[in-house]
Amino acid sequence: MRIGFNFTLGSTMGLVQRLIRERRIDYCELLIDNFLQVPPAQLAAAFDCPLGFHIMFSKFLESDVDYLEAMAERLHRHIEALQPLYVSDHIARFNHGGRQLYHLAEIDYDSEYRHVRDRVEYWQARLGQRLHLENYPSLLGGGRAAPEFFARLIRDTGAGLLFDVSNAICAQRNGVIAAEAWLPLIEAATHFHIAGYRESILAPKLTLDTHDAPLADDTLEFLARYRTHFDKPGATLTYERDDRFDEAEIDRDLAALRAIFPRLDDREHADAA
Amino acid sequence: MPPESVLPEPQWKDAELLDALLIPALQGNFPRDSAAFVRIDTSLRVYWHTLFDICPQLLELSGPDGLAIFRPFMAWAAQQQLSMNWAVYLWLCRWLQQSEFAARVDEELVFTLMAASVARWATGDRSADCGIVLSAAGHGDLLVGWKCHTPDGGRAIERVGLATPLPEPDEQFGYFTLPDFALDRFDGWQAVPR
Repeated sequence: MRIGFNFTLGSTMGLVQRLIRERRIDYCELLIDNFLQVPPAQLAAAFDCPLGFHIMFSKFLESDVDYLEAMAERLHRHIEALQPLYVSDHIARFNHGGRQLYHLAEIDYDSEYRHVRDRVEYWQARLGQRLHLENYPSLLGGGRAAPEFFARLIRDTGAGLLFDVSNAICAQRNGVIAAEAWLPLIEAATHFHIAGYRESILAPKLTLDTHDAPLADDTLEFLARYRTHFDKPGATLTYERDDRFDEAEIDRDLAALRAIFPRLDDREHADAA
Repeated sequence: MPPESVLPEPQWKDAELLDALLIPALQGNFPRDSAAFVRIDTSLRVYWHTLFDICPQLLELSGPDGLAIFRPFMAWAAQQQLSMNWAVYLWLCRWLQQSEFAARVDEELVFTLMAASVARWATGDRSADCGIVLSAAGHGDLLVGWKCHTPDGGRAIERVGLATPLPEPDEQFGYFTLPDFALDRFDGWQAVPR
């Protein structure tokens, strides 16, 4: 299992470079659409490690084709030049009635399948790349249908699942669906996300995927319990942090992940000992 | 629109709450002790923070909870079908200037809201454009926003005064975008998007 860290904007460059230098991470995941104005050669020179690409604002389920065509062309240049470990995007709702949702919403898995499938096929074809699609941190009961929806989508389109462990734990804590419901999909997936969460301010408390807190025990326990479902050749696990960059806390979390997924050479040393 | 009768808790879907996710007045249609109410609150808080964390001076007008601005502005934004894109701060400025707070909207606040708008464009726009120039009629200086263009950089905002000023926009605000990282052209002002 390769362990990585997300990089969304320049202010955390020092942190990311230290994590690479100290071998706390094996790769870096770029929120790539933040860097489309940066020449690929500069990005390649800046990171002494493999890269993953996470697309945030293609909004490919909703955007008009002209917008997507232009974005795909620019993404394609970066994909060609940097050969990322994977390219991922989101299954979520970014707008409603032409108005932006600042907190993304969950799609309606019961009524939107055909549209989503067609858009995934289109977007994959335009990127010339297998897409890995992230599960939503369900807050309400509609998320119960998510695993079945993703299984069908992956079967029909050849896309992959970018399984966000903590999103599934959030959904479980919100009483939507047990994280174990994703196990067959986890077994087939290669790319994973993990992050901290927080509870809502109001009660009844909901668990929110906030990316600003240390990893919770239930998240790490799930990962450890089903370690063999996750660990496989080519697998990646990105630790996401978007706020409160407490470096000691981040180091501890990365060490906890490394304890669950030792490097192959570390394991060989342990076996030899 | 939210259904009239309240469904048992586990049956809610996000898709049934969409209107309420950005209209505070609709939150009251849901039981206070429901997950749906909290989910809507979670969404509305992001709008609140997007306005008041970026422009904390607004709290000096509204009071510390911001609600005297937040609730009526969000209701007006829904009525006007504002897309809540990068120009949201400019529409907030326009709303403030028509509100009970009009007398307290000074030049500094106008430039703060303009800076917030170009910053939001610079981080959120996904076109091939590199920069945006924003002008307010009667306010002289321009606000310029640049997208991130180095691996360790970020978006950059500049307030620029030109020795030879550009013509003023026809409307209260006008903007144009820049295809390169150089402020070396002026193709006329565009009206800010709703």
